[in-house]
Amino acid sequence: MTNMLKYTGTLLTALVLLIPIHNFSSAQTPRESDVAVVVNADTPVTNLSLAEVRKVFLGERQYWNAKLPVVLLIRAPVARERDVVLRVIYQMTEAQFKQYWVAKIFRAEVTAPPKIVYSNDLQYELVSAIPGAIAFVDSRNVRPGVKMVRVDGMLPGDKSYPLR
Amino acid sequence: MRRPLFFIAVFCFAAGFVRAQDAPAPDEKEQIKALLARVELLEKQVAELKATQVASAASAGPSSSATAKPAPSPEPPARQAAPMPEHGGQIPPEVRQLETHYPSLQIRGFADADFSATDQPGTTSGFNLGQFDLHIASALSQKISYFAEITVNAHPQDYTIEMERTFIRYDYNDFFKISFGRFHTPVGYWNTAFHHGAWLQTTVDRPFMVKVGGTFTPLHLVGALAEGNIPSGSLGLGYNVGIGNGRGANIARPGDAGDINNNRAWVAKLFARPGKSYGVELGASVYRDKITLPTSEFREWISNAYLVWTKGAPEFLAEFDNVNHRNIATNAVANSDAMYAQFGYRLPWFERTLKPYYRFEYTHMPLSEQVFTYQPQVESIAGLRYDISSFAAFKSEYRYSASHPAQGGHPAMPAVSGVFFQTAFTF
Repeated sequence: MTNMLKYTGTLLTALVLLIPIHNFSSAQTPRESDVAVVVNADTPVTNLSLAEVRKVFLGERQYWNAKLPVVLLIRAPVARERDVVLRVIYQMTEAQFKQYWVAKIFRAEVTAPPKIVYSNDLQYELVSAIPGAIAFVDSRNVRPGVKMVRVDGMLPGDKSYPLR
Repeated sequence: MRRPLFFIAVFCFAAGFVRAQDAPAPDEKEQIKALLARVELLEKQVAELKATQVASAASAGPSSSATAKPAPSPEPPARQAAPMPEHGGQIPPEVRQLETHYPSLQIRGFADADFSATDQPGTTSGFNLGQFDLHIASALSQKISYFAEITVNAHPQDYTIEMERTFIRYDYNDFFKISFGRFHTPVGYWNTAFHHGAWLQTTVDRPFMVKVGGTFTPLHLVGALAEGNIPSGSLGLGYNVGIGNGRGANIARPGDAGDINNNRAWVAKLFARPGKSYGVELGASVYRDKITLPTSEFREWISNAYLVWTKGAPEFLAEFDNVNHRNIATNAVANSDAMYAQFGYRLPWFERTLKPYYRFEYTHMPLSEQVFTYQPQVESIAGLRYDISSFAAFKSEYRYSASHPAQGGHPAMPAVSGVFFQTAFTF
């Protein structure tokens, strides 16, 4: 019984010591910016629900209209935008994401996976140049030449913005 | 009993070995991050250099060069930065590289190697090759694409090559796409979700109702198929409607070289992927055909309903098929039913590579059934799938099936249990 009390006391002391350390480390981590959804300026869309964004990125919606196909752009692994997309939109791990697109092509639902983009600059060039292109970018660096899309009526920085 | 244990040990050893080979170096992510940061830095420097170049050209004045470009028009920035390739705008080389060129051919393959040992009298344990499956996808233009699936199948004497799917599709928009060729019949879920890629499915084998070479559900249709989404908001409705040559003289095959009768088979499927329940799909389908056998002709009416949740943690698949056969000459009716329910759960440990699963199958056939070979059964499967890498998996499975007791002149069949191992991959 005495031993049990001793161990419980030690555990509680450790927890109490850890709380301020945790709080301190949280306070030191800068809040990461939101991820914005951007489309080519000529794309006829200004607001999408999160479910619609998911539908577009899952390849279930492939056309903005009969003449304008959706062109999916996604950052290469390790980029923060990709992590957010996989976590919030796809809700998949990196391996599951790859498997999803292999299966999607095999089911003849699409002919190609999203185009992989290796840098922010290239991503902006592609979104600007390709009609129907859609991508995720760091909201702090949104540049002219692309159109930012509201998600569930919200823009990056709004309190309940879902892509962060 | 010792032999299966030996194979389990070999399986575990091989799995561990391959996993070790596949494990990335611990600092690989950091290196990639550093490289990406370097790429971005270099891009910034290039942009600065370009800006300097433009500034120096501008300061030289318009008279310095006869070939100087005219000043850009005062359009909004969005328009300036969006050169439209079809309008002859300047396309950056990076964009040109990522453009889709037609035809854009993609080839992918699936294969599997298996081991099985059962206590069924007259069978032997051993290894066997699964289907070697090649899949071709090629966009011929922005709206026209071609798909094909070819399998090579091992038999006791030789190999056979089978054209599983070959069709061309025209996409008008999301609501209407039409294809012509040979398809997997859109009856139910499994037949059009996993096709012949064993790696895609959680289990070693397909359920009885859609077994390769089986007769319960017509796996293929040769003809035309329309498909698309139905405007329905968050309900996420979709449809497939097809018409074509139904079952041939061998009812496991469609009429590839022509229908066996003047009656076309048709199929209709309605499904929903609700936006608010990501991963859930439910659907219902009907299939209608006329079967011509040497002895008599039958009207076939298949009804199917399914519910799936494909998130992996958990994964749930359930499907029910009713096949109604009516003898045209005698009006005798037989109803056969098949169903399965499969439950899997991707465990949160070991990078979510382990997925234990269980499937229950039930097949009912009345003694009055004249089209199918009489084979009612109940089957249970318990297994474990281990994803050795993103594109390869090991599966181990225990299967127990109990067949029908002696009745109506059919001999009794004993219960069979067995172990099955498979390594399935895509390349």
